Amino acid sequence: MKNNILIIGGGPAGLESASQLQRMGYNVILIEKSPKLGGHLAKWDRLFPDSVPADEVLGGLLRGAEGVKCFTDTDVRAINRLDKSYNVRLTNGITVLSDAVLVASGFDLFDAVKKEEYGYGVYDQVMTNADLEAYFKTGTDRRIENPGKIGFAHCVGSRDEKAGCRSCSKVCCATAVKQAIEMKQAFPNAEVFCFYMDLRLFGRHYEDIYLKAQKEYGVRFIRGRVAEVSENYDGTLLVKAEDTVAGKPLKVTLDLLVLMAGMRPSGVGKAIGDLLEMPVEEDGYFAVRSGIAASQRSPIPGIFLAGAATGPKTLPETLADARAAAMEVDRYLTEIFPDAKNYKQLVKERW
Amino acid sequence: MTPLLYLLAAQAPDPEVIDRIPSGFSPFVLPFTIGVAFMFSWIGVGLIRLLAAIPKSDRIKFAKSLFIPKTALKNIKDLFCDCLFHVKIWQRKPLLGYMHSAIAFGWFMIIILGHIEVALFVPARLNVTRGGLFYPIFYRYFVWMNPGHTTLRGAFFFFLMDFFLLYILSGIALAIFKRFRSIVLGMRHTTKPSLADRVALYSLWMIFPLRLLAESFTADLSGGSFLTVPVNHFWHFLFGDKLWFMPTWWAYSICLGLFFAAMPFSRYMHILTEVLWILLRNAGIEPNHPRKGVAEAEIYACSSCGLCLDACPMNVQKKNLKYSSVYFIRFLRRHNEKKINDIADKCLMCDKCHALCPVGVNAPALRRAQRATVNNAIPFDYSYLSTASGSTLAGETHATLGTVRGGTGASLCEASGGAERSEAVARPRVLPETATGKVLYFAGCMTHLTPRIIKSVEKVFKAAGVDYVFADREGGICCGRPLMLAGRKEAAAKVIEANKKMIEESGCDTLVLSCPICLKVFKEEYQLQGIRIVHYTQFINDLIASGKLAVKNTGEKIVYHDPCELGRGCGIYLEPRAALGQVGTLVKASKEYDESICCGGSLGSLTLDMKDRGKISESSLDSLLANDPQTIVTACPLCLKTFSEAVSNSKGPRKDVKVKDFAEVICG
Repeated sequence: MKNNILIIGGGPAGLESASQLQRMGYNVILIEKSPKLGGHLAKWDRLFPDSVPADEVLGGLLRGAEGVKCFTDTDVRAINRLDKSYNVRLTNGITVLSDAVLVASGFDLFDAVKKEEYGYGVYDQVMTNADLEAYFKTGTDRRIENPGKIGFAHCVGSRDEKAGCRSCSKVCCATAVKQAIEMKQAFPNAEVFCFYMDLRLFGRHYEDIYLKAQKEYGVRFIRGRVAEVSENYDGTLLVKAEDTVAGKPLKVTLDLLVLMAGMRPSGVGKAIGDLLEMPVEEDGYFAVRSGIAASQRSPIPGIFLAGAATGPKTLPETLADARAAAMEVDRYLTEIFPDAKNYKQLVKERW
Repeated sequence: MTPLLYLLAAQAPDPEVIDRIPSGFSPFVLPFTIGVAFMFSWIGVGLIRLLAAIPKSDRIKFAKSLFIPKTALKNIKDLFCDCLFHVKIWQRKPLLGYMHSAIAFGWFMIIILGHIEVALFVPARLNVTRGGLFYPIFYRYFVWMNPGHTTLRGAFFFFLMDFFLLYILSGIALAIFKRFRSIVLGMRHTTKPSLADRVALYSLWMIFPLRLLAESFTADLSGGSFLTVPVNHFWHFLFGDKLWFMPTWWAYSICLGLFFAAMPFSRYMHILTEVLWILLRNAGIEPNHPRKGVAEAEIYACSSCGLCLDACPMNVQKKNLKYSSVYFIRFLRRHNEKKINDIADKCLMCDKCHALCPVGVNAPALRRAQRATVNNAIPFDYSYLSTASGSTLAGETHATLGTVRGGTGASLCEASGGAERSEAVARPRVLPETATGKVLYFAGCMTHLTPRIIKSVEKVFKAAGVDYVFADREGGICCGRPLMLAGRKEAAAKVIEANKKMIEESGCDTLVLSCPICLKVFKEEYQLQGIRIVHYTQFINDLIASGKLAVKNTGEKIVYHDPCELGRGCGIYLEPRAALGQVGTLVKASKEYDESICCGGSLGSLTLDMKDRGKISESSLDSLLANDPQTIVTACPLCLKTFSEAVSNSKGPRKDVKVKDFAEVICG
């Protein structure tokens, strides 16, 4: 059994499922649009809740996927559906005849420029969560120069219909708490504020870091979405919000504002979805066969999904999803795919 | 001249016209007479009820207005232009205007000429007791032309009557055609008629063909002209010498009777109510309730013509047709509370239906009044507006989260400690400096959400050397317009009061606003004595015109979007275009000036969802991009935000179109 399986996307979901499928004996081909494997994980410094270095986790994933045929800088040019398989032409000139396709196209970070009232790209002292991780990784950012007051704005491009994104991005609350603590560690004298609508961090150990942030680090949590930001003459930022607990509007002057940009469906993923004619739901993420019972199967037979391609997920969820997807692929390729005579009937019954 | 003519007619030994039926009555007039009597009594009672529901002060104002020469002249002009000639429709849709004016003006002339004929030839019949109610209408039935005694005067009236009948018939033909192919007359959507509408509508269609039939049957007896006489010859050719004309006169009378009986329950009520509405409107009386008093005249003045259907930006989607002003008014008439509220809340308040309404029915104002009946009851608490010292803040509340460590535990609320770094929003009412004799710039909440506008405005002010004070740099209070739009007048009054105090104390003489939403409420509700209130497009255009601000023409192809509140709301169309013409090449949008399409972002709607708004943005973009501009320029922060989003979400070459604010383009 040496079926070809094409995995689209070289982030955590793609890498983990590649590793599992290879272990099962399949011939796995993984393509990644960017020059480097690892997706967003490769750009992150440390991971919540326990501040594990991202490199460590990524290293583990890469080791697991050793032996998988990986093409970076590669995109899909065209896809034809044959009887049961897919004929995929890649941009590097290679054509793959694949019996199953696993789409692990992940997510894009919300473009914070769209939320103009927060001033990203307009004011100097506004950055995003990704920028801050890059700072943690490299140690330099022109915006960070011993800031005295730092604010974190939760839900930027999440739970915001006006920004075109209704859903919660799931990871930003925990990330904000993690980054708030890390900033306090880096600048012990800084005052740190988190502006939130609801705190939605609920995984194992998450409550611990939330309490730690308050008790040990004195991070101030203010229940109220940031309304708008303006720039003072000295370049500091004036942040306006409503404290919904106190029932009063409030203003704070900050030296740095970090926007917790949320997750949006991947643009590159969408283009591939169009080639495959994969249906998407209203939120822009790919539709699945069944949200509860078959959340790694696309409505199209032979196409599987893993990770944030089907909605925001934390990293452990993504990895679990990737393993589940690998199991689903295996089941399809052993139970449905080989039976050429009854293929259509089996798809009808079991897909 | 008239008394002399009367005399001549009465004394002539061989009169031109002879009263054919001595009693001056025939049973066929009964349907018409009953119908019209019913209609007039209905309207009489309605009129009394309506006037009784208007506050006394408004009644006096109304009575006085009738005798003010200026208003009286405007009344006469409006009555002719709006009710008879339908000038407003002519201007936009000539064929449709022709149709409406043919029926209205033609019918009016036939009634008037009928009365003149009676007055000239059988003046005694004008008396109500001798058939004055129906005699002029059925004149052609009751008289006999004295052969050999016809004069030029008689022939002249015969000609006029036939001429106007033909004129009406052409209008009716168009009206019937419109029912099936409205687009030819420039209407994409037409109103769905109610039952009473249908009865009246079909009667109306029948009235004039039947009149032609009836009059042509008697044309050899009672005279006729170029239309009725040839038709009469045709009947003779067809049916021989004896024409049995009673059925046609009965049918004509029945149709008239049906029409007038259905009229009070149909849209044709507007024919008479319009007159009252125009008088009330010109007297400056505004409705303060969506259903009672003046509003009643207003809603019955609606002719259900359906021009608001195509005007409404929501109607890019057919499912939203039901939210149009015409249906809002229909449900107001029917007291359908649930539907009224639904429709009232959905509206974007872009005011286009009002701008395009042939009779000037202000449906958005009625919607606001309707919202007020529901929303004014919502409690509000702006007590913090009056406390200038930033008293309490999150600090205290969050202290309960406990154990804030060490030196970082300073209260979030530093205002109490004297530091200015954070404070309650109440503070900005006290300006950092006085603006005596200066320009005061008020950005408003919406501009604060689009900081690039503030940056550009300040850059322009600096370049032109404007001595100004930025009123709400540190944040301000809402101007009150969103509350007004939600019908919350009382809550709005609170914020208006607070802002007014701040502005008056500043001592400025010019107030510049970059948000049209603010501009409208500042102009209409603030009553700032001695302060010039201008939009930044006007102010900057003045700076350019007076040479204080030098600009460079980049030749960029620009299309200007008229924001609803600036264009239709405040009548500012030319100044932004004049200024933009100096920095680029203006191209036209397919709908502009008062026909401009709302961007979809309006805060006027309380319930319209983002998906529907997206569709509106798309249709607005379609209009703006008709002539392939490189840049869309608008002068409203909300439009700017909406279009930026819409362009970034669109596909293809559209994605490359830039969306810029007016000041941004001016400062280059």
